[in-house]
Amino acid sequence: MGPFDDLIQGFIAAATPMNLLMCFAGVLLGQIIGVLPGIGPSAAIALLLPLTYGASPTGAIIMFAGLYYGAQYGGTLTSVLINVPGESSSVMTSIDGYKMAQQGRGGVALGIAAIGSFIAGTIGTLGLMLLAPPLANIALAFGPPEYCALVLLGLTALAAVGGSILKGLATGVAGLLLGTVGIDPQVGVARFDYGQLWLLDGVDFIVLTVALFGMGEVLASCRTAAAEPILNVGRVLPTRDEWRQARMAILRGSGIGFLIGCLPAAGATIASFVSYIVEKKVAKDPSRFGHGAIEGVAGPEASNNAASAGAMVPMFALGVPGSNTTAVMLGALIMFGLRPGPEMFTTNSSLVWAVIASMYIGNAILLIMNLPLAGLFARLLKVRYSWIYPPILAICLTGVISHANNVEDAWLMFAFGVLGWLMKRYDWSAAPMVLGLVLGPLFENTLRQSLTLSHGSGTIFFLRPISALLIVAAVSAITIPLLVNFIRQRRTLAGA
Amino acid sequence: MQSRPALGELLLALIFAILGIVWVVTSLGMPLWEGFAPQSGFMPLWYGVILTGLAGAILVNLFMYGSENGEEPIGKPLIVLAALAAGIAGIEPAGFGPSIFLLLLVLFAVVERLPIVHSLFVAAGTTTVLILIFKTWLGVRLPTGPLGI
Repeated sequence: MGPFDDLIQGFIAAATPMNLLMCFAGVLLGQIIGVLPGIGPSAAIALLLPLTYGASPTGAIIMFAGLYYGAQYGGTLTSVLINVPGESSSVMTSIDGYKMAQQGRGGVALGIAAIGSFIAGTIGTLGLMLLAPPLANIALAFGPPEYCALVLLGLTALAAVGGSILKGLATGVAGLLLGTVGIDPQVGVARFDYGQLWLLDGVDFIVLTVALFGMGEVLASCRTAAAEPILNVGRVLPTRDEWRQARMAILRGSGIGFLIGCLPAAGATIASFVSYIVEKKVAKDPSRFGHGAIEGVAGPEASNNAASAGAMVPMFALGVPGSNTTAVMLGALIMFGLRPGPEMFTTNSSLVWAVIASMYIGNAILLIMNLPLAGLFARLLKVRYSWIYPPILAICLTGVISHANNVEDAWLMFAFGVLGWLMKRYDWSAAPMVLGLVLGPLFENTLRQSLTLSHGSGTIFFLRPISALLIVAAVSAITIPLLVNFIRQRRTLAGA
Repeated sequence: MQSRPALGELLLALIFAILGIVWVVTSLGMPLWEGFAPQSGFMPLWYGVILTGLAGAILVNLFMYGSENGEEPIGKPLIVLAALAAGIAGIEPAGFGPSIFLLLLVLFAVVERLPIVHSLFVAAGTTTVLILIFKTWLGVRLPTGPLGI
């Protein structure tokens, strides 16, 4: 049987009333979870696991998959409307999405995110269906040096797309530095905890993100809250011009997201960062980015949704999780007595294909739900800012406390919030700091593993073609803009 | 661009520089390299050195070229910060519910001078929704006070 015959069988299995209900419940719950800071899709699946003990494995995995990509879109809502990314993969969306909302184009931002997510989800699912086995083999070629180089590329490129490279690099390194707080994952020794037990778990992503983006924005904007103009919601569907600008970004984001999602441990966060960087690089006028460019929303949104499908490739084909969420899903498969890995496609093909088919259905549900709802959500912008920012602070505080159930994290949020306010005030980009914190442990682990493998020699990064290529790209990302600036300044001086 | 550095931006660069120095000093007390492999202090030491260098370069830049953004009044953000600090400090002794409710009420009615009845209603509604979602639905154990919420 070919993949299309398998898919038809999958649709028959996924279209039972119970499985359709599970799919709808997953997408809806995912959206709600995505909106709430502090509860990510992996935590939500873990919380729901006990409720699925009696359910069929197919129904449960369909619900979890729906929850996974539903959460990606839920994070978009808060990113665009209140500049608080619910998920790390929505950080890039907030840069231009929030600006679009401030310009009265919040409806379009949410609309293009829904359309982009649908297209990318469908392309990603198609990729999962056709390319799972060969792509899983390519992903296996990524060893510690390649991962290390990939993270380096992500950090340097992101630092370079902000306003000042120097400030972007400083915030990125500060994020990496904060990522070293807690237990050293390689040798199990506590670092930078200064005798505080609550610091042993490290600085949590949600604390830093909520503080830098949510609190930083509130503190920067509250001064003029009473005078803030009430924003127009605008239409939800993009105009022909906007669609023309966004369509290629959606396609590129889908490809990037799927490919990066396939890499174990890379996931939707790196995918959305890379997609944003690519869109800025290929844009005719890169200066529009950061000021409400629709491609800055369409690309990352498509990318993080396609990455959800891509992350299923290593999970199904290799039994290796592509993200935190698929790690929990993998645990769920084992809980149901299944053995994830290459034999999944033969021994449990009905489950695998039912899940793949349900992803098409889930993406359609996401689009049908969100085009009308986007306008409804965007109406939040019509409320006076004086009424909005106190509940934002309360949500940030609740999300942070609920995540680790300790008040110390709230104080940490307070301190980072002050930093976020200053960064916002003086145009220091916060995104590299968040990326540094998220990717810091992966970067450190892979760098130390690579150096151990090479007996302490850094040449390992240049002797392997993929990592050498990625490092050259990382160095170019910093040096080329600096060189261009230097030449431009010289010409200006010569002209004067 | 203003010709002199803004105090807030200088403070920001100094925070990053101090963070880098703290990391350098602390990591020097950790094992850096053993045999072939880098140890716990290796990466933090490098991060600290690089961050201190970058923050130093930013400081030099600020003194040479000034800040792009000028100063603006900071009174209201400081009041909001004070209210938030009081709200966080009250969570353990008073409980999550009362602290959040009072924080919202102060921000609505005192800081923003919004109508008191509306403020009471929105503060109570927001607190109830947050407790229902996080405590009742998601089963998160939020700190409780004498009132049990």
